[in-house]
Amino acid sequence: MTGNRCLGIVLLAAAGALAPGSTALSQARKVPGLVQEGNYAPGNLGMQMQPAPQNNDAGAVYGVGPWPTYTPPLADGDGRELVQSFCGICHSTTYITMQPPLTSATWEAVVNKMIGTFGAPIPEPSAQAILAYLKSHYTPETRKE
Amino acid sequence: MGRLSRRSLLAWLGSGAAGLVFSGQARAQVGPRAATPLPSFTGPGANPYWNGVNPFVSYPQKLPLLRITDRGIQLETPRPYFLSPFTPNAAFYVRYHLELIPNAVDLSTWRLSLEGNVERPLQLGFDELVKNFKAVSVAAVNQCSGNSRSRFQPRVPGAQWGNGAMGNARWTGVRLRELLASAGIKSGTVQLQFQGLDRGPGPEGKGADAVMKSLDLTDPALDDALVAYLMNDEPLPMLNGFPIRLVVPGKFGVYWIKHLTWIRALTSEDTNYWMATAYRIPDTARGNTTPADAAAGKLKTVPIGHVRMPVRSFIVVPDGSSKLPSGLPVRVQGIAFSGDGPVVKVEFSENDGRSWVEARLGADHGPYSFRTWEHTWRPSRAGKHVIAVRATDGRGNVQPDAPVWNPGGYLWNRVERQALIVGAG
Repeated sequence: MTGNRCLGIVLLAAAGALAPGSTALSQARKVPGLVQEGNYAPGNLGMQMQPAPQNNDAGAVYGVGPWPTYTPPLADGDGRELVQSFCGICHSTTYITMQPPLTSATWEAVVNKMIGTFGAPIPEPSAQAILAYLKSHYTPETRKE
Repeated sequence: MGRLSRRSLLAWLGSGAAGLVFSGQARAQVGPRAATPLPSFTGPGANPYWNGVNPFVSYPQKLPLLRITDRGIQLETPRPYFLSPFTPNAAFYVRYHLELIPNAVDLSTWRLSLEGNVERPLQLGFDELVKNFKAVSVAAVNQCSGNSRSRFQPRVPGAQWGNGAMGNARWTGVRLRELLASAGIKSGTVQLQFQGLDRGPGPEGKGADAVMKSLDLTDPALDDALVAYLMNDEPLPMLNGFPIRLVVPGKFGVYWIKHLTWIRALTSEDTNYWMATAYRIPDTARGNTTPADAAAGKLKTVPIGHVRMPVRSFIVVPDGSSKLPSGLPVRVQGIAFSGDGPVVKVEFSENDGRSWVEARLGADHGPYSFRTWEHTWRPSRAGKHVIAVRATDGRGNVQPDAPVWNPGGYLWNRVERQALIVGAG
């Protein structure tokens, strides 16, 4: 290794661009200002496969694949299954977890809107249990997650 | 850095090494990888972040966007995509009300219907729309009525958008007025009702089976309205309304019906849920009211289509995700728009809004488009700084520095701020 090439690698290290496997070199030299290097965190890369190109169908139908869904973890407690089954008729329960903590009065208005305005087919006892669940886990006083 | 001369600094800035530093700073929030992830929800205080706190997700025809909800689908555009005046289709936000969203459309059987109080009901195929009518283009911002709803205090239910429920595109299609003329709107028509292919599983007539929006036949916004089949010179992504959507420059996105399939001439005012109950604002200055007045139920309300989108401006970079190196000029960049005339001025404040200097405006793409702006800021000291931006539109409307509140979470347009840390040299 010539002196010039060595200098080049040190400059790259200072810019944070040095490839893995370089620790021996950096340990061998003092690098001004370097505070941390080679910090790799274990865990997945968030990898997703790339979509394949569309097939050769030249017909008039234009489409895409299915819309992905997600079942958010809801707080453990009485009424959770009723929430998942009744609220889930028309929408995913991310509609609940996405909200800020809402007051009991607001949850009451929301449940009444779903039933009265939108016509959600929820029997009265189940509606009361759903409301009790939301008040127990998703108000400013009660929300944990 | 301290020993570099100005000349060698410039040479260094021009090299790849500078790219590492600056792209790291400007794009730190582009990808989903974070040293410390955001919390999973905010509240009961206001959401302090530019976007909502939701995770990145992948959808067909889309870059990773921020999930609000997955059924129906609501996706927010991440902040860095607003560096350019036109929002990429693959990054454009998505907002549906109901869950039955088309996955596939057969253009051989799909028709756009013009019906109701018309001389000649029309059933137009996609190729007829494209071939038989003159194509026109307009650059226009589509913004959700509830963009920035997560800023409201007290918080209100609804999609908890940060600032990313907006986008700007060059829309190309047919003038709505030309289509109306070919169908012949009969006298006695008061409103036009628009409906798309997307539906819901709810019982008929209650709002959860279909979304319909109507505009007054005399509304001047209809003169600029298009039925668009191109978005940024490409077909519309399915989630943005393929094959066509209504474009109503200046008005909120709820009127820009996706998968537009029915246009109806109505002889009386539309009383469906989406006009009579939803998307209504207090008939007050800025649509502002108080929780007490709203709870008392005495508010006079009007459809949000009665107003144009108020003037807004945004800081896109720097985004506060990284410390700014001491001694360097900071290129502050952002966008501004108004539904009520072009943006004529954008002002920058380095001191939390106490004093303002005029920023430089980017290219003019028309009165309904995003207008980019930038300002070179030279922070005088290390420590915390709060910068701010405000815009003025052609009607002299200046962005106010006061919050707004209404039960729907609509019409937020307060002055935007960004806290920044300048590090020591």
